[in-house]
Amino acid sequence: MTAAASAPRPDPARTTAAARFDFAKAEGRGIEDYLRTFAVAVRLGWQLEANWTDPFLFFIYSVAKPVSSALILVVMLEVIGGEAGRAFRPFVVVGSALWAFVVSGIAGLAWSILEDRERYRVLKYVYVSPSDFLTILIGRGVARLGVGLAGAVITLVVGVIALGVPFDPATVDWLLLGVVFVLGLGSIIGVGLLMAGIVIQTRQESWSYPEAFAGAIFLVAGAVFPLGVLPAPVQVIGLLTPLSWWIAGVRRALFVDGPGSIGGEGTVFASVFGHLQPSPAEIVLALLATGALATLGAVAVFRISDRRAKQAGLYDRTTGS
Amino acid sequence: MAATIDFVGRSGAGPREAADWSRRQELMTDLRSVRGRAYPRVIGLMREPSWVLFEILLPFLSTAAFVFVYRAIGAPQAYVGFVVLGGALTAFWLNVIWMMANQLWWEKSQGNLELYFAAPMHFMSILFGMALGGMFMSSTRAITVLLIAGTIFGVTFSVDQWALLISVFVLTLGALYGLGMVLASLFLVWGREAWHLGQMLTEPVYFVSGLNFPVARLGFLGALSVAFIPLATGLDAMRQLVFADAAFPVGTPAPLVEVGILGVMTVVSIAGARWMLIAMERRARRDGRLSVRWQ
Repeated sequence: MTAAASAPRPDPARTTAAARFDFAKAEGRGIEDYLRTFAVAVRLGWQLEANWTDPFLFFIYSVAKPVSSALILVVMLEVIGGEAGRAFRPFVVVGSALWAFVVSGIAGLAWSILEDRERYRVLKYVYVSPSDFLTILIGRGVARLGVGLAGAVITLVVGVIALGVPFDPATVDWLLLGVVFVLGLGSIIGVGLLMAGIVIQTRQESWSYPEAFAGAIFLVAGAVFPLGVLPAPVQVIGLLTPLSWWIAGVRRALFVDGPGSIGGEGTVFASVFGHLQPSPAEIVLALLATGALATLGAVAVFRISDRRAKQAGLYDRTTGS
Repeated sequence: MAATIDFVGRSGAGPREAADWSRRQELMTDLRSVRGRAYPRVIGLMREPSWVLFEILLPFLSTAAFVFVYRAIGAPQAYVGFVVLGGALTAFWLNVIWMMANQLWWEKSQGNLELYFAAPMHFMSILFGMALGGMFMSSTRAITVLLIAGTIFGVTFSVDQWALLISVFVLTLGALYGLGMVLASLFLVWGREAWHLGQMLTEPVYFVSGLNFPVARLGFLGALSVAFIPLATGLDAMRQLVFADAAFPVGTPAPLVEVGILGVMTVVSIAGARWMLIAMERRARRDGRLSVRWQ
């Protein structure tokens, strides 16, 4: 008997089974995989944001920026003085607090792309991993939104305690607040996705692009002044922006009788709808419609950008100057 | 007699002699390094069209938002001018924070820093090159914002002392970029904290510098800012010189005094930057962390 004849023979049944490709494994576990990816991305984003220092210093860093933004506006009002300035204070404090949250949301997704591509140089590995890329991005963005939310809340607290913003929890329209907050969150992530699609195509210095874009929307969103002071065509752009309705909705929910940012004497809103200020239902409907359009448009832009980036090899191209 | 041999383009009897440069050779190499480091920032303006939208038009809209805040509360027209001038100067501050202070840390993360140290030039040449390129880059943005916003919002500049204004502007840039050079070494040592520190140095500094309002309104805090933050000093001096007719709240020094403060800031910061570089290099050699990335 030869050595070859005595060697163990492979079991034909097992060989066939091993060679057979299990398509079910490649398809994954559906929603369970997405949720797991999302949770891991949120955790990773949070670690990246927060693990460089101790919690106290992180807290100081997180709130310094939004509080300073609010203080700039408060001093601007004080410089002019008078009743107009003082009456305007709750308006600008709430607006600038909310805007800190918006900027975090818009910048979060785009900065995730830039960090992974330019700084850590892992974007291409993340992209080819079995996890859904969009889910990872949104997860990373949500972590930054959390930091932004903390900054916004602290700014509001500083506004109430130190800057004399009148606030009564009993008069808050909590239902409206909950509804517009959830709808607005979707819109903010949508705009963030749009910026992520843009920075995939641009260079390292794109770090400033999300904030520059947010600064431009700041003009038309009625964050710190009513849309009524803008020229009519710019007011129309503001009315088509979901963030304008989100800010108006949150403001309306927090201060039911406070000044609104959308309508007023001689505004485009008043001339089109025939009344001075939008009702809560109108705010929710407008936020829903403009938010859906903005989010769908952002997803489309992101998909186009993604396809072009794959064709041009942009996911592993680092730049610098 | 020893034969002259060519060592990487430099002749000498041996490698030691070839490496023994004259003062002129050192100076010319340093100047070439300054030009070389400034080059990508200048030429980058022509090669990346998206910056026109994102770094000029969109920041202009952001500045416009503050103009509308003043309009909403019926502020005098002079305050619109304050906002426009402040908006223009933010271009320099952002450049100093993100493209000077953060730059060495970036270079370290990208693997260029050890190459800079190994190259036969003074490291200050790299910092000067970054500063000159950055000044050019930011000047284009600042001038554009000033022109567009000035025209659209009808800002009238009333300058009586041009020579003093130009001196203030030049010294402000000197002090700002000198500060950027100091921060570059500090940020390199601070590692990942640098990014967050950069965030921390935007809005809070805008506030204490009186970006959109006369810094004198901040009282003692404003005085401290004028004494220590070049953005506050330069902005206040320029406002006094550019809006000579405007009614100013008293409390800040005259422009000539602020020129002196800016001059001291410039000298101290450039000397400080040189000292910081030496200290940073010594520490990096001792700890062996010059090429350690992402920390």
